[in-house]
Amino acid sequence: MSAAQPMEEALAGVLARVLGPGELRDLVRLTGGATKATWSFDWAGGNDRQSLILQQTAPRAAPAGGHAKSAPKLTAGEDAALMTVARDAGIPAPEVVHVLAPDDGLGDGYVTRRVEGETLGRRIVGDAAFGAVRPHLASQCGEILAAIHRLPAGRLPFLAMLGAAEELSIYAGLLEPLGFVHPAMSYAVRWMRERLPPDDRAGVVHADFRTGNLIVDPTEGIRCVLDWEIARIGDPMHDLGVLCTRSWRFGGAGACGGFGSREDLYAAYERASGVSVDPRRVRFWEAMSNLKWAIACVRRGLATQPDGRPAGVELAAIGRRLEEPLWDFMQLATIRD
Amino acid sequence: MPAFVPHAATLLQAAAIDLEREVLPALAGPPRFRARIILNVLRLVARELAQAPRADAAERERLQALLGSGGDALPPLRADLAARIDGGGLPLDDEALLAHLAASLREALAINSPGWAQEP
Repeated sequence: MSAAQPMEEALAGVLARVLGPGELRDLVRLTGGATKATWSFDWAGGNDRQSLILQQTAPRAAPAGGHAKSAPKLTAGEDAALMTVARDAGIPAPEVVHVLAPDDGLGDGYVTRRVEGETLGRRIVGDAAFGAVRPHLASQCGEILAAIHRLPAGRLPFLAMLGAAEELSIYAGLLEPLGFVHPAMSYAVRWMRERLPPDDRAGVVHADFRTGNLIVDPTEGIRCVLDWEIARIGDPMHDLGVLCTRSWRFGGAGACGGFGSREDLYAAYERASGVSVDPRRVRFWEAMSNLKWAIACVRRGLATQPDGRPAGVELAAIGRRLEEPLWDFMQLATIRD
Repeated sequence: MPAFVPHAATLLQAAAIDLEREVLPALAGPPRFRARIILNVLRLVARELAQAPRADAAERERLQALLGSGGDALPPLRADLAARIDGGGLPLDDEALLAHLAASLREALAINSPGWAQEP
């Protein structure tokens, strides 16, 4: 708590400059680690009260070596610019109020308007409160994804182009320094390498569009798409594969996000985009999504604190989820058609 | 192993029951969330103590048959299989390979995530 006071003062100073005089109310830290945190608060000035979110992001590390391409990660400014372009296109992305500047004293990040709704996957796919809207979510996802994929790349020059082969080599490369050997992981990497699709389609790809990163309202459905920071230019089918990954269904029955059917997702996407969905191409990206989550599980499971002790139990326990995506990968890899 | 009383599995079970019935109800917010993770970890380790010996023996037997090797230690056997997969020495549709990978993942999931391999 000792660090909270200067943070509050810095935040109040920024808000006074950007929004005019007022008072900081109900500051709550929603998530966070040492260099990355999400805060919720209100700014009460005169006779209005604005509900806001502060996202503090870790500063982007300089690429190591310079020879190998690293996983795409937008700076806070780029992330905010992308969300603004997305909103201009009618996509429900966070509305950016302010991008933090060095003088703000709050590190990297941005302030956005808070959107009310549910992000917890288990509630969205299971709670009775979402029963009425659930059948509509898959179609909504298809429409939103079609809109993301046709965003004007010319206004987003900071987005990196990332082909399937690069994606695979970047993420598989994360395993090498860990010295982690697992036959099913080897199988997954080779299976992907032997099935790389041609890089013949390119659009703006969110790359983390899934249950957990969507704010859902019990009557309106999807009100906001969050977490744009690994967006890139790539194969649009990537986004459909991520959305259908079983690890992101939170126990829900529907292949699409745990809430809907693949058929509804594909049909809505095709109607909205005019592009036909290639189920095998989606399956490739769903397999990639499983492989990437498996690699993330290994990295979290082996994470250590600076003094060498294991990281917190939450991270450590994620290491034991490794076999979930590997099992799902093998199911996808052995479908006969 | 010394003739401990109680056995590690019993101690873990006692700790898990206590945490769930006596500690969790008194907690709220982030500490409650963390305590639930710790409870799951205790149960996971209890399953590992009970199931790992049989899972290891089954994996060893399959690996020795698949690789035609007589070594007993699992890490080098696994590394050998991984190297043959990486190097292209084994076809990806090899039935014995697929059966081995599925069985090993199923055994691990029975410890780490019971039910995952049964659901669709």
